[in-house]
Amino acid sequence: MKHTTVVIIGGGATGIGILRDLSMRGVKAVLLEQGGIASGASSRFHGLLHSGGRYAVKDNEAARECIEENMILRRIGRECVEESEGFFVLSQQDDPAYEKPWVEACAKAGIKTEPVDVKEALRLEPNLDPGIKAVYRVPDSSVDGFRLVWHNAMSARRYGGEMLTHHEVFAIDQEGGKVKGVRARNLVTGEEVCISCDVVVNAAGSWAAKVVELVGLEVGVQPDRGTLVAFNHRFTSRVINRLHMSSDGDIFVPHGSITILGTTSFHADRPDAHEAPTEDVLKLLDIGEVLIPNLRSYRILRAFAGTRPLYVAKGSAAGRAASRGFHISDHSEEGLDGMFSIFGGKFTTYRLMAEKLCDLVCEKLGVHAECRTAVEPLIADPSPAMMEKAAKYFPVHSVPLVANRLGDAFPIVVEKAAAMKSNPLLCECEMVTRAEIEYVASDPSSHSMTDVRLRTRLGMGTCQGTYCSLRTIGALTECRVPFPLSPADNLRDFLQERWKGLRPALWGLQAREMELGRAVYAATLNIDGARDEQKN
Amino acid sequence: MKRRINPDKCVACSTCVVQCPVAEVTSKFLGPRMLGPASERFRMLNAGEDDSLSYCANCKNCDISCPQGVEVSNINMLARAEYCRENRPSFRDWILAHGELEAKLVSYFPSFLVNFGMANPISKQILDMVGVSKKADLPKFASKQFPAMFKEYKQPENLTKRVVFYPGCFIKAYAPQTGMDLVWLLNKAGYKVEYPEVFCCCGTPLYTNGFEADARKNAVKNLEELAAWRKAGIPVLSLCPSCQLMFKSEIPAFFPDLAENMESTALDDAMEFILGCINRGELDISEADTSPLDIIYHAPCHLRAQGIGFPGLDILRLLPGVHAVNADAGCCGISGSYGFKKEKYDIGMAIGSKLFDTIKDSGIRQVATECGTCKVQIIHGTGNPCDHPLTILRRRLDKKTTK
Ligand SMILES: Cc1cc2nc3c(=O)[nH]c(=O)nc-3n(C[C@H](O)[C@H](O)[C@H](O)COP(=O)(O)OP(=O)(O)OC[C@H]3O[C@@H](n4cnc5c(N)ncnc54)[C@H](O)[C@@H]3O)c2cc1C
Ligand code: SF4
Ligand code: SF4
Repeated sequence: MKHTTVVIIGGGATGIGILRDLSMRGVKAVLLEQGGIASGASSRFHGLLHSGGRYAVKDNEAARECIEENMILRRIGRECVEESEGFFVLSQQDDPAYEKPWVEACAKAGIKTEPVDVKEALRLEPNLDPGIKAVYRVPDSSVDGFRLVWHNAMSARRYGGEMLTHHEVFAIDQEGGKVKGVRARNLVTGEEVCISCDVVVNAAGSWAAKVVELVGLEVGVQPDRGTLVAFNHRFTSRVINRLHMSSDGDIFVPHGSITILGTTSFHADRPDAHEAPTEDVLKLLDIGEVLIPNLRSYRILRAFAGTRPLYVAKGSAAGRAASRGFHISDHSEEGLDGMFSIFGGKFTTYRLMAEKLCDLVCEKLGVHAECRTAVEPLIADPSPAMMEKAAKYFPVHSVPLVANRLGDAFPIVVEKAAAMKSNPLLCECEMVTRAEIEYVASDPSSHSMTDVRLRTRLGMGTCQGTYCSLRTIGALTECRVPFPLSPADNLRDFLQERWKGLRPALWGLQAREMELGRAVYAATLNIDGARDEQKN
Repeated sequence: MKRRINPDKCVACSTCVVQCPVAEVTSKFLGPRMLGPASERFRMLNAGEDDSLSYCANCKNCDISCPQGVEVSNINMLARAEYCRENRPSFRDWILAHGELEAKLVSYFPSFLVNFGMANPISKQILDMVGVSKKADLPKFASKQFPAMFKEYKQPENLTKRVVFYPGCFIKAYAPQTGMDLVWLLNKAGYKVEYPEVFCCCGTPLYTNGFEADARKNAVKNLEELAAWRKAGIPVLSLCPSCQLMFKSEIPAFFPDLAENMESTALDDAMEFILGCINRGELDISEADTSPLDIIYHAPCHLRAQGIGFPGLDILRLLPGVHAVNADAGCCGISGSYGFKKEKYDIGMAIGSKLFDTIKDSGIRQVATECGTCKVQIIHGTGNPCDHPLTILRRRLDKKTTK
């Protein structure tokens, strides 16, 4: 049996943040995640690095946490944050009476707001409705959640932190009111692993209540589904919020090459309620049109949904009225020593959440090391020489993007590209080259093309996999990357997953793309037949 | 503000890549889809510009072939203009872009001196040093430019109908006789021709070489004049497919604010107009020379991009004794000043080779095409004579001209 000091359940921002923090403090820890890294809310979210402006009026404390963490993440996670700034816009439909208390509340929370002349705002964001009434500038940013979690993981690995992906925890063992260890199943091989430990941390997000059920306890976590719509291009340069009480569908977040509009808020009956209904998409478009009148002329790439782990104290409100603050339970209070649960909060505050939790864990373990996660960058900046070298083997547009997403692995991939005969683009829409794909596919944590997609953005642009998936599976088969699935099944799963996101918003320009994709794979290449043939 | 074309219509099918003549002959070029709609999604990130953007010839074959109606070449040109705002284009590009200005300067000197000055080995060496290929045959300045020729020309009295002629800089400086051929034909059809001297270069060479501000100035002047004639209900004709394309679709794309208040910024196509004259019986071709003449016709890319068919070829086919075939061999490779540039000369010649071979294999001597620089390239690539269809028409009608 394997032994460690702390087992962390859940590989989202919170769990991986804890792994990094503990590892930096010299505490041995193993993290178990049932899917791939950040396969829960931490990649199915809006990607707004909150300035706190959105919470200033309702929850000033949460707003203060946001702005403080926002500033820290810009420093430690430069490669994951686009310092795009944000606008709060008073639309023709919004109540001007909200403006003054909002400005005051922001000041109180320490959020810098700066009025922007409407004409100037329209010059900077020409797609905004010309009838808007007032605009404020705030330090919002966008954050690539998946990448930030990965870079935390890389940092944790450097300090000896261990993680096992595709491992589902199904039992937590206890003895004499104290946790003893966990048992998990490797979902790829079916194997069972037991790990003994002194402390178990439940960072399972929306699944937190399920995990606590394993030890017969309860926590106030309510999964709350939010739908998001991704558009094919970036039609705002900065984050655009409505200046009103936070509500559905009122934020546009530009991310790299795309824009994401969101989000709704609905009670979900299960933590993996990841279906995005068409009604939600239509509702989002209706609301979004108030700020961006041309919205319906833009192409929707896909719609997706995630579930928020909302903290609901017994008897209090759920949904948007519930607190966005976080909560830590030390289950020793309920008679189980060595078990902690952490839930609620926001992506923006994951580091703070991890710090607070690790303080408690360290206190329990008698470890006195200080938290350094706020001062040490997640990864080292790539050297200018390496950037220059990369420009020889990657398209110019893609070099900074490749460097940012690969982090520590950037120099390795550049060398790999340099050694290859040529380094063609396999994914042209998101500019992902063969060297990068081969490297990521060979990482032990990659089990499928979908895992490769998450780390590289393969198949996440305009064509949603129509052209890149065939090229990629060909390249990976050629270089013999050992995936558990056959190439045909891998391709099918990959495409199905892409198409799943297309279905809820399948009209207009994206329907044309979809038809082309369907013609290529279902007709010309007969992908279903290919699978049957393999079976025979 | 940075103007952007919404790249959403692109379905990534790569049809344009297959049809792009530059992508076909050089791997240096990222190709229309990648430089156009695909890169456009990254330009808002200021992710830097690919060097190969300068290799786009703005020939418009991508736009012609795109099944989704993406304005690929305009995306490229807007990106180039944006790039050139921060990175000044070279002296060589300035020279090639400002042909009209140079023409004005040289019009004060005898043309044989000027052309000798340009064509002698020493000048060629100097041009080569700034980046104009010494292998290229640059067009020669005419001994008398169009404005002077037009002024001296006596149009018949008692013509009641009126049209306006927009010559464009190429005809003005290098091929004024083609312009005069049109004037002669229009007169014969009963039209008095006006030529307002304020009309200047349409801006194509300026914009594609990265001189956006200069192109804009020209567009302002030209549109103002055009609007006045529009109001008077008098058609404004052009002989040059590139000028036509600039007015019709590039000005609205590059300077939408200028085009906003005009129903259409398009010029009328002189070939369509003449074809109309023939069809209406205003221009009588029954007296035309009937001696047999084989012609091989090259359709300029910028004409094909307009989607108006080939009125010039249609005219030739109406002429008794003329047998005209369409070469249908793609781009000639010159694309304005593109093929004169040192680093692009070989690309231009490789692109044109299919057309040159088609012409040579046809065994036909006489080539016809509407575009002035296509003509220069065809003569350079084949040694065959090449003329504007209207020049040929005039020759067949005008008893006084020698064949
Ligand atoms: C639609 C939407 C939009 C949002 N927008 C924003 C925003 O713009 N800005 C912001 O700051 N926040 C936003 N949030 C909130 C933010 O996404 C979450 O607060 C944050 O990602 C939660 O991270 P986590 O690590 O706690 O949970 P998760 O990322 O969900 O991680 C939990 C992990 O635990 C794993 N797990 C569960 N059970 C087990 C088990 N038994 N064994 C092993 N592993 C298990 C799951 O697979 C999952 O990966 C948004 C949320 C949603 C839903
Ligand atoms: S304009 Fe011509 S050279 Fe430029 S991308 Fe299009 S087809 Fe290629
Ligand atoms: S621009 Fe047009 S032809 Fe080119 S890839 Fe896109 S849709 Fe196809």
